[in-house]
Amino acid sequence: MQSRTLAVILLATITLCAPIPISYAGENVPRPTIGTQEIGLSAGYLLSDCLKARCKTEQSGVAFMPSWMMTMTDPIGDSWYQGQLSLGAEAVYIQFQEPHLTHGIGFTPKIKYTFVAPDRIRPYVEFAGGPFWTDLGGKIPEQHGQFNFILTSGLGISYFLTDQAALNVGYRFQHISNAGTRHTNVGLNSSLPFAGFSFYF
Amino acid sequence: MHGTLSLRWAIFGCCGLLLTLTTGCARWIELKAAPDSSREPNVQAIARSEQVPLVMESISNTRNGSPQNLSLETEQRLLGTLRKVGLFSHLGGTDSTEPPAGGKFIRARLLFDEDIDQHAGDKAWKSIVIGASMFILTPFIPLDYDYAAHMTLELERWDGQVKRYESQSAGTSHYQLFSATPLMFDELKGHVTESCLTALMQQMVHDTTFYFASSAPVLDRSIHSVSVKSNRSKLTPVPISTSPGK
Repeated sequence: MQSRTLAVILLATITLCAPIPISYAGENVPRPTIGTQEIGLSAGYLLSDCLKARCKTEQSGVAFMPSWMMTMTDPIGDSWYQGQLSLGAEAVYIQFQEPHLTHGIGFTPKIKYTFVAPDRIRPYVEFAGGPFWTDLGGKIPEQHGQFNFILTSGLGISYFLTDQAALNVGYRFQHISNAGTRHTNVGLNSSLPFAGFSFYF
Repeated sequence: MHGTLSLRWAIFGCCGLLLTLTTGCARWIELKAAPDSSREPNVQAIARSEQVPLVMESISNTRNGSPQNLSLETEQRLLGTLRKVGLFSHLGGTDSTEPPAGGKFIRARLLFDEDIDQHAGDKAWKSIVIGASMFILTPFIPLDYDYAAHMTLELERWDGQVKRYESQSAGTSHYQLFSATPLMFDELKGHVTESCLTALMQQMVHDTTFYFASSAPVLDRSIHSVSVKSNRSKLTPVPISTSPGK
């Protein structure tokens, strides 16, 4: 089931990016400036990451993350860490397939630092957090409420096919909990490998 | 009752969103121009026979102290401003050929230093605050971008005399998150550059007679002497001691 979902995600990414003409090194080097906007879509498969002994639920499912970002700075620094800061927001939809078929939806402001020293391949780190509603809450011992928060930290790599389009792959660590607003708040931790694409304008 | 309450919240939410988007899109430019850059330079009416051509010899551009590639836009803007002043008969860019030796013409050299402060650290903190507030604080957190320019224009007359003009100008773009566009910074740079060029032209028109064809005779500069000094004299002799072989 998991491998089939991953295959669908990969196929969808390839299909959507196929019409984009690939330009080679030295041509159209991407130079996003302040105010450059980015819209993207990422998808991945959520895998349970039980860090605590009392964690019993092994949740898993597909995740879709459409996002919008705005470049806040021109490149900062002049060494390997030279990069640009972006601020934006992301919607998160997770379809939990285990332990129960349930859904979750959230909205998270997101901050991203992209290293620009490598030319066309650009690593980045990102942090996001915001409210998250899921009907998985109440059906598992760790979370009793449906209203929760989701915190995400991750790293990834963007490969610029052109100066305006990039493929992204990466890994995220996600934590879902209710921030102590309701009793039983063990929290759910997950690993989320993902792939996606972005357009810059 | 529940329906009325939902409608009220929906209206309240829409108003809040509208307010955030409209006030979050505000932007304005604050220009700290040189005192004599506000007036347009006086366009001169000079007899055709008194006009000489001007040729751009070089344009050096630095940004925050780092040398940059030659900007054709800067050259075009300078030539355009000089054209408006009407002091010279013909204006040639850096790629144009120099008039024949012995002719009267002006050589121009421009040094263009740009200084950009994008307040990166400030923006990083503000981004965290804006994000943490779910963008609600966007209208109340302005972002800044400073741009300053310093221009030095050297004009060398055909007899070797040089006049040097300097001007500087600075500006700040204050904007909210949603109004940030690359175009906005081009606007700021455009205003600051224009202010600098206008100040340069203001100074230049005071020396109008200096550029008249009748202001100086042509010097015979067709023979250039080149002196090459040997670096040998700078070398310090290294004492070598030899010992007779055993």
